[in-house]
Amino acid sequence: MRYIRPSSLEDAVGLLANASGKAAILAGGSDLLVRMKGGFIEPDVIIDIKAIDALGRIIENDDGFVIGAAVPCAVLGENTALRNAWPGVVEGARLIGSKQVQGRCTIVGNLCNASPAADSVPALVAAGARALVRGPAGSRTIAVETIPVGPGKTSLAPGEIIEAILLDKRQRHSGDAYQRFTPRTEMDIAVVSAAVNLTLNDQGVVEKARVALGAAAPTVLLVEEAADILVGSRVDDGALERLAEACSAACRPIDDKRGTVEFRKKVAGVLAKRVALTAYQRAGQK
Amino acid sequence: MNINTPIEEREFKIVGKSVKRDDVLEKVTGEAEYTGDVKLAGMLHGKIKRAAIAHARIKSIDVSKALAYPGVKAVLTHENVPRVLHYGSPHPRSASCTKDQYILDDKVRFWGEGVAAVAAISEEIADEALDLIEVEYEALPAVFEPEDAALPGAPLIHDVGPGGNLVLDPVRVNRGDVEAGFAQADFILEGTFSGGRPHPAYMEPNVCIADWDGSNKLTFWTSTQTSFMVRGILAEVLGLPLTKVRVLVDHMGGGFGAKQDCFQHEFLCALLAKETRRPVKMEFTRHETFVAGRARHPCKVWLKQGFKNDGTLVARDMKLVYDSGAYGSHGPGVTIVGTTAATSLYRCENVRLEGRCVYTNTPINGAFRGYGVVQSYYALDIQMDEAAERLGMDPADLKLKNVVRAGDIAPSGHPIVGHGLEICLQHGIDVLDWKSLRNRDRTPDPKRPHIRKGWGIGCEMHGSSAYPGIKEQGNATVKVNEDGTVTLLTGAAGLGTGAHTALAQIVAEELGVRFEDVGVIHGDTDVVPWDIGAFASHTTYLVGTAAKMAATKVRASVLERAAMKLQVKADELDLSEGKIFVTAEPGRFMSVAEAMGPSRGIPAANIVANGTYEPTKSYSFAAHFTEVHVDTETGIVEVKRVVPVHDIGRVIHPIAAQGQIEGGIQQGIGHTLTEDYVIDKKTGRSLNAGLVDYKMPLSMDMPDIETIILEAAPDPGGPWGAKGVGEDPIIAIGPSIANAIYDAIGVRFHHYPITPEDILKALREKGA
Repeated sequence: MRYIRPSSLEDAVGLLANASGKAAILAGGSDLLVRMKGGFIEPDVIIDIKAIDALGRIIENDDGFVIGAAVPCAVLGENTALRNAWPGVVEGARLIGSKQVQGRCTIVGNLCNASPAADSVPALVAAGARALVRGPAGSRTIAVETIPVGPGKTSLAPGEIIEAILLDKRQRHSGDAYQRFTPRTEMDIAVVSAAVNLTLNDQGVVEKARVALGAAAPTVLLVEEAADILVGSRVDDGALERLAEACSAACRPIDDKRGTVEFRKKVAGVLAKRVALTAYQRAGQK
Repeated sequence: MNINTPIEEREFKIVGKSVKRDDVLEKVTGEAEYTGDVKLAGMLHGKIKRAAIAHARIKSIDVSKALAYPGVKAVLTHENVPRVLHYGSPHPRSASCTKDQYILDDKVRFWGEGVAAVAAISEEIADEALDLIEVEYEALPAVFEPEDAALPGAPLIHDVGPGGNLVLDPVRVNRGDVEAGFAQADFILEGTFSGGRPHPAYMEPNVCIADWDGSNKLTFWTSTQTSFMVRGILAEVLGLPLTKVRVLVDHMGGGFGAKQDCFQHEFLCALLAKETRRPVKMEFTRHETFVAGRARHPCKVWLKQGFKNDGTLVARDMKLVYDSGAYGSHGPGVTIVGTTAATSLYRCENVRLEGRCVYTNTPINGAFRGYGVVQSYYALDIQMDEAAERLGMDPADLKLKNVVRAGDIAPSGHPIVGHGLEICLQHGIDVLDWKSLRNRDRTPDPKRPHIRKGWGIGCEMHGSSAYPGIKEQGNATVKVNEDGTVTLLTGAAGLGTGAHTALAQIVAEELGVRFEDVGVIHGDTDVVPWDIGAFASHTTYLVGTAAKMAATKVRASVLERAAMKLQVKADELDLSEGKIFVTAEPGRFMSVAEAMGPSRGIPAANIVANGTYEPTKSYSFAAHFTEVHVDTETGIVEVKRVVPVHDIGRVIHPIAAQGQIEGGIQQGIGHTLTEDYVIDKKTGRSLNAGLVDYKMPLSMDMPDIETIILEAAPDPGGPWGAKGVGEDPIIAIGPSIANAIYDAIGVRFHHYPITPEDILKALREKGA
């Protein structure tokens, strides 16, 4: 097994493309090392991307935010501008593992681990976040929801690496929120989760909405019919009830030791209501 | 002997004060040495091959590839280890355990049982070699539930024992006339209850190191609560005299009762070291602490009680079935203690109890904080709440009316000397203003109508020793050094409870020296006096009394020595804070160092004394008052506040006692709400043998705990009336939560853990 720590993205992409055996990218390592120690994977090459300066930064520009692939989740929470613009994205990232884990783990790692229960992904999907992908054939930008294609599987081509997550510049009267259900309050894996992202008009009516559910299907679900219910509403009780029903109906979860289908469907709806209300309140504050 | 003299009243200088624990600095700086930290030159690493089948006969086992693997030094199977039938728990000849284990057998009785062991130059190589061992099994029909195992014709898991997969003959207790009692009853309540399989999940995984020297003596480091018992059973099984087995244990990262078995890996580690003539270390992974550790016995309880309309309990009929798992371990003790406990707590003259313990093809259940009583009192206390509701009474009033009182016969069969449950309950009722709590709004927050709040009470009593199952003995040796410092030698293990600090406090107090002047030597069976082990909430009560007795003796000797030097009679002297003085003339004094040290023509004194104490037992008591918030939309139950009121007699170290109570509550919250070690009922495979999916509550989940410790009922058998506290809190918290959930949402649960899914399902059914 070889461990390599390139200092440029070009080198990283080259190493990845030319790796003869299985290669793995190491950022925080909070998934990779666990999987290696558990004997689930045995990469021939480990490419540590933390020495690539550009990947360790959060940049705010005219288009919004560029979050480098090696930025630990704890750092997201320390960025006031990001926290104010995308509080739901930040709260998802800061529910992963524990304080200690958040000091290492990254949202790109969380995305590429492709767990349906990943805490940072529903809020990214609801936010309409895009991933900047670099590969042997050049760069491309794709919606984050297209990256995981099933538990543990991504749509990334061999040799491709996610360079950064892009979040749009925040429009006025916008807010997002994320919540998950876990039996305890930390160091846990979502049984089911929900994220809502809203933009209101000046009258407080929802103009745009995105609703995403986690651990409710093999990948994070973007529930358009639920978003349609919110659009045009003031997130009143009636809309919330219909939202909950739509979310419950959209779920395609499994029965497992962490929760049953019935429970996940019910709680997906409950959480969607709660995050919709929080997102609406946050949107009203701006 | 049992001490039954009145408790001495005195002004304490050290006892009752939270002195700085002797182990904290080492622990917080990382200097404390645990077994896993020990590294010996040339040390090999041992690993165990575990069966991936629940019940099978081993047809063949081929270790040739593993033996040929570079770095592998030895492989053991049932074909080359001694075949000695032995006790699973090292309390041989007690009523607590059963003799049904071999080091390795040609039969597999649970998924995860060890079938071979490897020693290699690294853990990784040992691990890899396990995959090279080829085992051919003949699968046998397996049973995973006690009901199935007890059916006629069920596959038999053992050849030993009373048969029918029973671990021991049913435990039966009869007092009074149950049928006559029911005939007097105005109403009868009947219900079934069940408990899951919570695991102690101690922080330090099981670990041991074996090293044989040139004289064929085994030195054995192991994380155990019962070092002398491990010494005894190792010697017995390996055919060695006790002089040839030395067991060492320094610091431990918890045990909670489960580390009082002698585990398969401990024998295998010793044998691998013998085979290779090199030290061998074996350390469990977290996964192994589940599959090869010990959990609490899952239990099914049927309980029927008759009540008069004034709340008097007139009959109790109860049947308990404990699931032992694949081996007996502490099944007999747990069944006896858990069953007989139901004679008490709430008074009832007519009692008929039957406890069974049944083998199943599941991982082994063993001793664990609360030892069978968690299960039986969960049922008793919840049904008491149901009776109160039926009577239209406040459960607090009904419990107060019926709680055990002075002179009542304890589960152990002897009258209780110190009884504190009534005062614990009354105290809690008063400080919480319970009556007004009962009348408050259950949904006080109009913005969060889905949050319902409830309060519940759980009561318990628990003995501070394993009597009468085991007639215990506590020992201590106290030496006074020539500089006036004092050394206490004890075999009591330090699980992390602060026991050694409490023992040092007792010696310092009794002797009249400063706490800082007492050093404690422990954990070396070649050095310290014999010890029964740290379990049954008894260390302070049992070993504390022995230490006090030894201190009394050395104190007299020190005064004799000083009397000679001061030219007075010993009974004219007093000793306090390391100073010996003439009582009538305090200006005439000398330090203990001056008394002990040499002077012209007189060598330094050699003062050593032993204390040996063989008690019956005392009982401690608690009432827990618990507030829960139930989210009726997600089913999550949040324990917000617990007011535990405990009577533990004389408190030696208040912070340590409080720590025991808070820790027990936290552990009990987990067992009641989130923790359950789940075994697949089709294959016997463990489904959540790890801390990702075995959900222990963490620090963020901890409620406000406002501990109240009363010294209401000191027991003359303990040092200045001290009693046990280790197990009590985990027993009372469970029913207090279940009763609080009922108070909040009007749904009764008769099982644990009570999961969010259970809550939502019950609410849905209630609504329908």
